[in-house]
Amino acid sequence: MRKDLAIAAALIVSVGALLYAPTATRAQEEVVIGLLCDRTGATQTVGVNVCPGYHDYIALINSKGGVEGHRIRVVEIDHEFKVPQAMEAYERQKKEGAVLISLYGTPHTQALSQKLAEDRIPGTSPGFGIAASADGSRYPFLFPIAATYYSQAAAAVKFVKDQLGGSLKGKKIAYLFYDNPSGKEPLPVLGELSRQEGFELRTFAVPPPGVEMGAQVLDIAQRYRADFVISHLFGRSPSVSIKELKRAGYPLRKVVAFVWGAAEADIEAAGGFGVAEGYYAMQFAGVGSDYPVLDEIRAMYRKQGQEPPKVMASTVYYNRGVLIAAIHVEAVRNALKAKRGQKITGADVKAGFEGIKGATFGGLLPPLEITAADHEGGGWVQIFQAKGGKFVKATDWFKAYPEVVAKEVKATGIQ
Amino acid sequence: MIQRECGVLKTSYAADMALYPLPIARKTMVAIAVLFALVLPVALDPYYLSILNLIFIAVIGAIGLNILVGYTGQISVGHGAFMSVGAYTAANLAVRLDFPFWLSLPLGGLMAALVGAIVGIPSLRIKGLYLAIATLAAQFIIEWMINHFTWISGGVQASIEVPRPTLFGHGIASQLEMYFFLLVFVVLAVVGALNLMRSRIGRAFVAIRDHDIAAQIIGIDVFRYKLLAFAISSFYAGVTGVLYTYYLGIANYEQFQLGVSIDYLAMIIIGGLGSILGSVFGAVFITLLPIAIRWAMESFGGALFSQQAVLNLIPNLRLILFGLLIIFFLVVEPEGLSRLWRNIRNYFRVWPFAY
Amino acid sequence: MFDWQFLLLLVSNGILLGLMYALIALGFVLVYKATDAINFAQGEFVMIAGFAVAVAMAAYGAPWWLAAGIGLAGMIAFGFGLERTMLRPLIGRPVVAVIMATIGLAAVLRGVGPLMWGAETRALPLPIADEPLVLGPLLISPIQLVGAAVSLLFLAGFAWFFLKSRKGIAMRAVADDQQVAMAMGINVERYFGIAWAMAGVVSALGGIVWGNLLGVDVHLALVGLKVFPVVILGGLDSIPGAIVGGLIVGVVENVAAGYIDPLVGGGTKDFAPYVLMIVALMIRPYGIFGKQIIERI
Repeated sequence: MRKDLAIAAALIVSVGALLYAPTATRAQEEVVIGLLCDRTGATQTVGVNVCPGYHDYIALINSKGGVEGHRIRVVEIDHEFKVPQAMEAYERQKKEGAVLISLYGTPHTQALSQKLAEDRIPGTSPGFGIAASADGSRYPFLFPIAATYYSQAAAAVKFVKDQLGGSLKGKKIAYLFYDNPSGKEPLPVLGELSRQEGFELRTFAVPPPGVEMGAQVLDIAQRYRADFVISHLFGRSPSVSIKELKRAGYPLRKVVAFVWGAAEADIEAAGGFGVAEGYYAMQFAGVGSDYPVLDEIRAMYRKQGQEPPKVMASTVYYNRGVLIAAIHVEAVRNALKAKRGQKITGADVKAGFEGIKGATFGGLLPPLEITAADHEGGGWVQIFQAKGGKFVKATDWFKAYPEVVAKEVKATGIQ
Repeated sequence: MIQRECGVLKTSYAADMALYPLPIARKTMVAIAVLFALVLPVALDPYYLSILNLIFIAVIGAIGLNILVGYTGQISVGHGAFMSVGAYTAANLAVRLDFPFWLSLPLGGLMAALVGAIVGIPSLRIKGLYLAIATLAAQFIIEWMINHFTWISGGVQASIEVPRPTLFGHGIASQLEMYFFLLVFVVLAVVGALNLMRSRIGRAFVAIRDHDIAAQIIGIDVFRYKLLAFAISSFYAGVTGVLYTYYLGIANYEQFQLGVSIDYLAMIIIGGLGSILGSVFGAVFITLLPIAIRWAMESFGGALFSQQAVLNLIPNLRLILFGLLIIFFLVVEPEGLSRLWRNIRNYFRVWPFAY
Repeated sequence: MFDWQFLLLLVSNGILLGLMYALIALGFVLVYKATDAINFAQGEFVMIAGFAVAVAMAAYGAPWWLAAGIGLAGMIAFGFGLERTMLRPLIGRPVVAVIMATIGLAAVLRGVGPLMWGAETRALPLPIADEPLVLGPLLISPIQLVGAAVSLLFLAGFAWFFLKSRKGIAMRAVADDQQVAMAMGINVERYFGIAWAMAGVVSALGGIVWGNLLGVDVHLALVGLKVFPVVILGGLDSIPGAIVGGLIVGVVENVAAGYIDPLVGGGTKDFAPYVLMIVALMIRPYGIFGKQIIERI
């Protein structure tokens, strides 16, 4: 009985703590941003690098006196890649006064899309989410701010075309994809391009959890004998694809991966850069540590007497975190300028996003230009190649087939 | 809580058989009703209402799963998939045929019931873990079908945006409106399940759980009732999926994957198998647990660790605590929170005396 | 045109992969056979063992054999400790209680691994070449060959253990009827501990082999999902069943991916073994080699 009472008491205390936990008193001039993250769920290997990058950039901005004299407070909540948790987290961030939400994960972006529009709070989904949300008139409060899967597909085809000598007529391209909605999203664009460019497209689905794809890869290498592979995989599967392609004797310099199969971690897990030599990886943020912003962040840490954190070594994801934060700060700055320092709302930040143009941070960001109609900012990507122990830039920022992408954006999306 | 049972004189059979034989029980019921219908919605911030709404949805799903697992003794690891069946059925009806929610919601539930009954067919032959894995197979197969049949899923995105439910031309969108919308269904679900368990069907379920061969000998059509249990349970799951869809405004099967099935199992096991009240407790517990741990960490973690470390610590610690609490409850109080509640009630019944 | 060479490639790939699945399934079967407990955390066992080995190698610079030894010893201790603290109180509880407890355990392990050692993906390098062995028309990955060999070795070892050794026979007695075994003077709880420790050993080897193949982070636990069709097809309490089930699942997956996927345009690989499994269950409810339970009232 005493045991039961103790448990009951513990329960009551924890519920009480929940209801009466101190809500942080917020200063008037603070700007609150909600950051959804996943550090324990299905995509944690991404989250643990992206989110610190985000925080570091905001800390840098705050250490320099904030944006237009306003400090930025980030409310990070981990949603374990689960939708109910993401809903709760969003409501919490809204309660904290968030004027901007950094979304995380495609299912969560879809689940929150209607809510964001109703609450008039902009959310960003860089490199994932709903491709059709590039169309700002249909999804006024969703901002992909980086290349959607449609743009990535178009860019991949363009890249393959350049690699194969300028023409794709009669070539065979294999699309190796994770068999979930995100993986299938680019299919209409690829299909349209295969008609336009006259190449043969065959798709190879990798069902979740994607820890094994021997058969698909053998098919690509030995039966289909593809001229090039476009791979769109998540989680652990990119590294498996590198290993399996290698094993099946397929040259990795004929593989280009979408943005979530393109990090140092994927290469390391596949056995290191020596194994993955030649692998092409698409990026929507600059890769490597030679950017002035990153130097400033390192300097900030040193000034506090600390070593720069280890996560900075994972430059692909860390830099993406910095990029997201940088674009957010730009949007908030535009909003604050427009309101002359008064309290800003979600709608102001939305307008702020739509005024972003041409801040490239020394090459970390593409030459974005976000407008009321184009929330993607152009759909720029850059392709890097695993070469001699690191990622080496293979192309400059580019975008491809904008008319095909635009047509698909108009035609598809969520029913 | 303190239910004095002395001094109650019953003078008729009707009074003796009443649902709430004690005045205090009646008063408690009225108090709870007033609390949920009048006090909470007015007193709470929309954020807390949003948590309550998530709990409401979870309660319905947990009750449904408990009917199958706790009352009938069949295991299902596929309830997430049944929810998605309900969700997509309702979403398709609402979008393509413009069905109002009061039509698409029960139809979504019925579709899920049908699918659930089909999945339940192997339960005739197999039981225990084999059945659990067969339902796991159903989870994967249903997910696969939704992912690949665009006429179900509405396109490669496998997402269907659903308009907000409307009542008398008024859209139900805010958390407060959603609260009342969901409250109605929670009450229906609880009362429905309580009544079901007092009926012939409920008794048959329990007999099958306790010993299916013995149940067959005393004349219960085991196969029929097993399928019925699957169907009713899946109906609840389907309704959960539909409500979820209306709550979020979108149907997407990635919201109903294996992890969801497991969360619901955790709810009923922690709450108490074979107990409606337990399902409610479990749903509350599992929904609040991550939130409570996070709040505790945010409030007190800053004193011990640096900001960045806390951010990394919270989610991992939450996962660990979540697992540990599940194990703790299983080891310490196998009959779950509902048993805990009964013990406490019995203790206070005669308080301050020992018995 | 039917391409025999391609089919041969798929089947050989399937066989090797199936044996690697079987390695993980063995841990599951051992526990179920001896203690009637169902371990939903099998994948997490593999993950945590992989973590231990990879961290020992990367952070402390241990050579691979020492790291593997640390992993094995750690998993044995873990198996014993787990049985003592978590599973012993659950003896005699309904099957869902044990399932749920192991699900809780899985959550704990998924939290502990990254918290202690960081969430980033680690490589688990072994002195095994990445380049495939070319045997006539076949391409065989050395690591898969190692995994398959380990798997077969364990099959032989366990077969001997359960058939010939005193401990193994005692364990079978425990599995058959706990009360009778107790009456015969067998220390049932000790054998439960041994069974969990053996599952730990198998998981450690699984962690090393799969960790090398996939890299070590939480995603390594996902291979645990592959266990279910394997053990159900083979029969939950049969060690040869785990191997046969593994082979069937491996081959079916590969052939399905090679010949069914192009027709339906989606990944049937994960789905095909489950369909097969349900069909098998309807015909043989206790798996191919599983023990049939006769119920009495």
